[in-house]
Amino acid sequence: MADTVTFTLNDKNVTVPKGWTVMQAAKQAQVDIPHFCWHPGLSVAGVCRFCMVHVQGARKLEIACNLQATEGMIVRTDTPEVKEAHKWGLEFHLINHPLDCPVCDQAGECGLQDFYMQVGKYKSQMTRPKVLKPKAVDLGPRLILDTERCILCSRCVRFEEEVTKTGALGIFDRGDRAIIGTYGEEKIEHNYQENLVDVCPVGAFTSKKFRFKQRVWFLQEKSSICPGCSTGCKIKVHARTDRRTYYRVKPEIDETVNGFWMCDKGRDTIAHLNREHRLPQSQMRIDGKKQTVPTAQALESLRRAIETAGAEETALLVSAHYTVEEYEAFFHYFCDQLGVTKVYQWRAETEDRDSFDGILLRGDENPNTAGLRAAMRRVKGRTVPIKNEIATCVSKKPKVVVALCPEVPFTSPWFQEDLKQLAGISHVSLWTCRYEATEVAGITSWIPMKGFAEKTGHFLNYEGAKRELQEAFPSATAEALSVVEAVQQMAAIATITTETATL
Amino acid sequence: MEFTKILTRFENIPNSRALATYEKHGGYEAAKKALTQTREEIITLVKDSGLRGRGGAGFPTGLKWSFVPKTADTVYLLCNNDEGEPGTFKDRYILELSPHMLIEGMIIAAHAIGAKKAYIYTRCEFYDEIRWMNEAIAEAYQAGYLGKNLFGTNVQVDLDHYIGAGAYICGEETGLISSLEGKKGQPKLKPPFPAISGYLGKPTIVNNTETLAAVPWIITHGAAAHRAMGTEKSPGTKLFCVSGPVKKPGVFERPLGYPLKKLIFEDAGGMLDGKQLKAVIPGGASAPVLLPAEIETLTLDYEAIAAAGSMLGSGAVMVIPHDQPMMELLRILVNFFHHESCGQCTPCREGTGWLASVVQGVEEKTATPEDVEKLYQIAVHMEGRTICALSDAAAMPTKAITRKFADELKRSIRGI
Ligand SMILES: Cc1cc2nc3c(=O)[nH]c(=O)nc-3n(C[C@H](O)[C@H](O)[C@H](O)COP(=O)(O)O)c2cc1C
Ligand code: SF4
Ligand code: SF4
Ligand code: SF4
Ligand code: FES
Repeated sequence: MADTVTFTLNDKNVTVPKGWTVMQAAKQAQVDIPHFCWHPGLSVAGVCRFCMVHVQGARKLEIACNLQATEGMIVRTDTPEVKEAHKWGLEFHLINHPLDCPVCDQAGECGLQDFYMQVGKYKSQMTRPKVLKPKAVDLGPRLILDTERCILCSRCVRFEEEVTKTGALGIFDRGDRAIIGTYGEEKIEHNYQENLVDVCPVGAFTSKKFRFKQRVWFLQEKSSICPGCSTGCKIKVHARTDRRTYYRVKPEIDETVNGFWMCDKGRDTIAHLNREHRLPQSQMRIDGKKQTVPTAQALESLRRAIETAGAEETALLVSAHYTVEEYEAFFHYFCDQLGVTKVYQWRAETEDRDSFDGILLRGDENPNTAGLRAAMRRVKGRTVPIKNEIATCVSKKPKVVVALCPEVPFTSPWFQEDLKQLAGISHVSLWTCRYEATEVAGITSWIPMKGFAEKTGHFLNYEGAKRELQEAFPSATAEALSVVEAVQQMAAIATITTETATL
Repeated sequence: MEFTKILTRFENIPNSRALATYEKHGGYEAAKKALTQTREEIITLVKDSGLRGRGGAGFPTGLKWSFVPKTADTVYLLCNNDEGEPGTFKDRYILELSPHMLIEGMIIAAHAIGAKKAYIYTRCEFYDEIRWMNEAIAEAYQAGYLGKNLFGTNVQVDLDHYIGAGAYICGEETGLISSLEGKKGQPKLKPPFPAISGYLGKPTIVNNTETLAAVPWIITHGAAAHRAMGTEKSPGTKLFCVSGPVKKPGVFERPLGYPLKKLIFEDAGGMLDGKQLKAVIPGGASAPVLLPAEIETLTLDYEAIAAAGSMLGSGAVMVIPHDQPMMELLRILVNFFHHESCGQCTPCREGTGWLASVVQGVEEKTATPEDVEKLYQIAVHMEGRTICALSDAAAMPTKAITRKFADELKRSIRGI
């Protein structure tokens, strides 16, 4: 095959596409080559000089990140010379490093620490005073930079040049006085700031939001999809299950959609998942007073209300924040089984849906507009134009409304205001994870829902691509249900009541 | 030793910089001849002449030119007139004697590589030389030696003079390219090499001033005449800059293969009275020092000096007298490289700083005799590990001094 090359890496035959570097090939072959400046999503800088490998016949060691694999090449990563180069490479990186791991957020996921364990483990020869540089520099609303921890790998500079194309960062001065910074007093204010924290292999860039909040080894991570917009970036949500607390979101590599990145807006989509913002249990308004009730009771009451009013007087108000699987279960139960036909979309009244920032973020702030649309097409037998239909719903004067509420509060700030339109409808059941929903008057019942990180399933993104929420955390509130679970529970109650009635 | 002066042939000629003087002595005849020849013919001639780059590395010039892709539409020729290597003051001498010789060499080189545009990159400290060069360029334009349709052919060569801020690293060819591009003067990762992707991403040849200035003579006199001087592997003549406590320091044009001792003790007049030779740095600050015993029969050519464990480099012969403390010399050297490292490669950025800091420890009286070995070890691991040769340039002299003068350095640390 002409468009691949085969070469030997530590006695292993590796075949890769022509043009690949030894670093890329090593990644694929799962051979570790220590590196700092190379990042798969950025151009090659070749500055850390850490990724040294031995190439048979070469005069000196070569850097794997800028070395094209060629047919028959014989590469080793484990010769004594390479090992020595790694050790010294690390020593050079560390001589002026402040070694403040005990107070550094990066500790536990730091390249310097990891590689020290892997290829370092030497006794430092550095006995001279270290070069001091500015610490805790405020570089933007979400960023703190410690220029002493910085190893000048230039990843952040390249990110700003190549991804955001702002060129916001530069390396000022030279030699060991070199320092990362912005021009003048400028701050980095774009929507991709925290990627700098991710690309930074050490604790130089830290996130203001995550700073000093948690040691990373206490965190568990689950693969999910960002619910912030219709792009559907693949993410990892980091939480402490023992505390039922969500701490941060990181992008997960996904070549097809988000590559290596995500936006800052997406990083904020976990705040509402924590208990203080959650509807903890089902509630009902009984004799004008809100009361906590067993979920079964709230669902049974809803079921009775539908029976009394009739399916034709029942309306479903559905936001595009739920999974395809949830819509299937929801519509299957309410439409196919109970016979409800009034189905309305619920979304922002005005939105710049087709806008795109040129990187990732889209104007449609719903993660599953396409999935909801497809599900509605099935139950309605026709394609509905995408728009907010709450007013239409109200104008049809339904007696019962079941509302699948938008989940992410900051992308649906219109939520409470919209709900006021439902006042006067005799039974309104809100399915929601948001505590603030209980502050709205005129609602009959509230059913606690799981958040996106607490369920599996999938969204369809702006181009209809399947975006899988692969893993689920246990819900931060014990009683929360997914729509699938809520519907199952409701159907089960209904069966029991019918059975009791016939007895 | 028979030889003809090439680069300094205008010494002792009055008004040597003027175009009229240059023309009177056959100036621009070589360019006229070369422009009727094909690119291949010129490259072959320069290859045959054995001319090697005078910027330090001694890379064969004709071979370098041949790396430019023949099909490239835009090619650049850059003259490296940064002359940053400590101890070196030869390129400025060419500008002082005959800037037109450089222009003529550049016209020929530009034609050979297919460049329509050429730049000279000079450091800003060369105040007079910049003026002289600018005057010569203006004269050449006026006389029709630069611009379009040179000598009635369809060859076009435009020449600009760019003044750098005087960073040593901007003399490294890719650092020079970055600087010329308006960027921070930082060397570029290779590959790609400049001959494929250089200035503004186009094929680019960077040559030292002395290299380019030798080209017209070679065109006029032929490859064999050039090879008749110097050694087999180092043909031609070279400018040597002799500095230090000698009676007649200065620039000397001598054939390659010339005895070093003869240069120091005859041509440069020998040591000042009361001074004895302690060591010689034969090729600029980055060249390892040689002891008197090592230069007894040493000749000034690339191969002989390499065999002696040093390098010809830029031809800067620095004479070190008996009363020069080597710790002081080491301090000056490592401080220079520390100051000049661009800082992108970790071993160079940290290594140069570390060397300087360890040496600083001697002054602070915190150093220990073991630090001599530490300096050596640091240097060993800075070498051959970086994007450009500045790291090596700092490592090589450090290694040599810490090995050859270990006892003396230890004594300075102990304060005895
Ligand atoms: C740190 C460093 C500084 C250099 N400074 C100069 C310089 O001032 N002038 C120069 O001609 N070459 C200098 N060089 C060598 C150039 O990189 C390059 O090899 C040379 O300009 C090529 O020209 P030549 O082939 O004609 O020698 C330097 C190299 C390094 C590594
Ligand atoms: S701040 Fe981080 S990413 Fe930027 S150069 Fe320093 S270590 Fe690299
Ligand atoms: S672009 Fe959209 S999906 Fe991606 S992280 Fe931002 S808000 Fe989330
Ligand atoms: S070796 Fe030193 S001067 Fe050269 S590119 Fe690397 S850091 Fe810069
Ligand atoms: S990873 Fe190759 S030089 Fe940094």
